[in-house]
Amino acid sequence: MSGTRVAVVGAGMTRFMRRAQETGKELAWEAARAALDSCELTLADVDAVCLTSAPDAFDGVHMKGEYLSDGAGGFGKPFIRTYVGGGSGVFTAIQGWYTVASGMFDVALLVAEEKMSSTQPHPQGAFLTIFDNILERPLGPNLLWIFALEMNRYMSAYGLDKRDIASVAVKNKRNAAGHPAALLGQADITVDDVLASEVLAWPVQRLDVSPISDGAVAVVVASEEAAKRITDRPVWIEGVGWNLDTTYWTNRDLVYPEYVENAARMAYDMAGVKEPRRQIHVAEPYDPFDYKELHHLEGLLLFEKGKAPEAARDGVLDREGDLPSCPSGGLLGVGNPIAAAGLMKIAELFWQLRGEAGARQVPGTPERGVAQAWGDLMQVGTVVVMGNDGGPPKTAAGLPVVQTPPYTAGGHPLSDGGFRSALGAVDHRLGARYSWDAGVAVGRFLDGLRAGKILGRECRRCERVLVPPRMFCERCFRETDGWIEVEHTGTVQTYSICHVSWDMQPLDPPEMPAVISIDGSDGGFLHMLGEVDPDGVRIGMDVEAVWKPVGERAGSILDIDHFRPRRQS
Amino acid sequence: MREKVARPDEVRRWPGDFPVAHRYTPGLAGDAFLTALRDRGAILGSRCERCAYTYVPTRLFCERCFAELDAGVELGPEGTLVSFTIGFVGLEGEPLDRPVTLGLVRLDGADAVLLHHVLDPGDEPLEIGERVAVVLRAPEERTGSILDILGFAVAEAESD
Ligand SMILES: [Zn+2]
Repeated sequence: MSGTRVAVVGAGMTRFMRRAQETGKELAWEAARAALDSCELTLADVDAVCLTSAPDAFDGVHMKGEYLSDGAGGFGKPFIRTYVGGGSGVFTAIQGWYTVASGMFDVALLVAEEKMSSTQPHPQGAFLTIFDNILERPLGPNLLWIFALEMNRYMSAYGLDKRDIASVAVKNKRNAAGHPAALLGQADITVDDVLASEVLAWPVQRLDVSPISDGAVAVVVASEEAAKRITDRPVWIEGVGWNLDTTYWTNRDLVYPEYVENAARMAYDMAGVKEPRRQIHVAEPYDPFDYKELHHLEGLLLFEKGKAPEAARDGVLDREGDLPSCPSGGLLGVGNPIAAAGLMKIAELFWQLRGEAGARQVPGTPERGVAQAWGDLMQVGTVVVMGNDGGPPKTAAGLPVVQTPPYTAGGHPLSDGGFRSALGAVDHRLGARYSWDAGVAVGRFLDGLRAGKILGRECRRCERVLVPPRMFCERCFRETDGWIEVEHTGTVQTYSICHVSWDMQPLDPPEMPAVISIDGSDGGFLHMLGEVDPDGVRIGMDVEAVWKPVGERAGSILDIDHFRPRRQS
Repeated sequence: MREKVARPDEVRRWPGDFPVAHRYTPGLAGDAFLTALRDRGAILGSRCERCAYTYVPTRLFCERCFAELDAGVELGPEGTLVSFTIGFVGLEGEPLDRPVTLGLVRLDGADAVLLHHVLDPGDEPLEIGERVAVVLRAPEERTGSILDILGFAVAEAESD
């Protein structure tokens, strides 16, 4: 790889809070100043600023990058915001790497901020439009669905025990008890606590999920020459990788995150890592849900497919285990201010590889770590490999140098009452309304539904039938070759039993969303199951479409009322 | 392959919204600004001595040098009109019964300018560079809002 080597030389963060009194830009400043203080730099030493923050809708500020720029140190400097959903925080380290490796800048300040508490009634409202507006949103989706559907598929494919998965939530919340910035550290939590928590969307329970949070993290990166001037303990960015899978998430087998593997292979190749399980000593995989950490450890090639859960059960992933995973406490324990949570993983590797993680320090002398985040519509993987060139320096007595990381003292939590009665608070409803066009392929698909047919498009080069149909094949980038009518039947690829609406109101009876693989095609789509007891649903079950009466059809995904178990003909 | 829209009324569309609302709280610096405005009718700013720059409203930090700032300076109540505009149409382009005048004012003691209404400019045309003064809501009506300031009025000319 050409270009200068790039090192992380400083890091800082705010507390992660359920709700911060600080504005987003005040949070960004607290983290950015702490990062600069940690390496004794000032804003004048910074040549360029890279910012990330997830959807504008969280802070309720359109063009949030510009809004946050002053708190991020962007005044009068080359400044840009990037955004790849939940993958953003780790991606900012990738952006920082190429900003410096290009040779254009010596020192870059990387800042990630999220203030999710502004969103009412629930931040999930900001996620609803990531679903396909024509084919999925009419079904009334809930963001939890896609996690529940993926988790169920993963569990079913390998016959996993939910106890093993829950042990990840336990490990991370226990690890977070040693993190001064953590929101949900809990030293005495048990697997039984997780399994006893409220079922949201089976198999997802309350304690399987990371908490929404406010917070900010900042990291300073520098060229090799500048890094050696700034610190005697730089932590090198040895490899970076990022990769995106198809946006047609119902066309993927949700068992395995190939995009994470692709990103990991890119980063490992660059870092010269040939045997990840031996050469990676500490991991910070993305853990918005407990099963996701395991999924991602497999995608990172650190465990065989389906084998990460037993490693979690057996303590391999513990801080003292053979491969410590999320020693920070992760999103499940420290909190999940989305973009900031990803960059927190980079900061944690920096502290771990310098021997500065205090109560969270993994034993031994870890020489190399990997951080990873995930996002968009279940489809992006961002991976960074970091190393310290052979272990942190020792003191004269042969003991590792241990010091408390320079967190900011900042971060003022705001109570529910304080939030309701806050002086000068302003309420505003976005009020944006849309009329989404179906487009050519889906328009014809909807015409087909009105006529009681399920239509696909054939790609003859890739030898597959695309459902939902598209006029182009995203794999070979050709126009697809023609329309083809497929069956009204299919199999349940995965399903969930969902007990809450998108704004977390209880649903009784629960809904049963499912990904249906459509017979005669290589794809499928999201729909609802009906005429079946929740206890009777199985992955792999044969189902058939139940159509609305002809007179009630409108050219909509809802022209199929639901899918039910197939009746023997 | 392209398809022409021959029957636009039959184009498949799905209506929807973006169901989010927000509650914005003023933050640490904003809280100091609004509290002083409500309780004392004072307009506070933050001075960075290193950058020799005074911000208004208050700021927690200097964006130029990243120093932590306090809400230590009181500004105005008079200032200079830096620019203004007169709006004759509303958000949807509808004509307004009464035009709205907005001004950018550099309060005495400040470097940054403050945006607010200019009240009753009267028949005399406004002039950039003109002296203006803050007009506050009555103390008992103030809530801790930027609207506790009613706007700026042209300052009385000094008698000669
Ligand atoms: Zn300054």
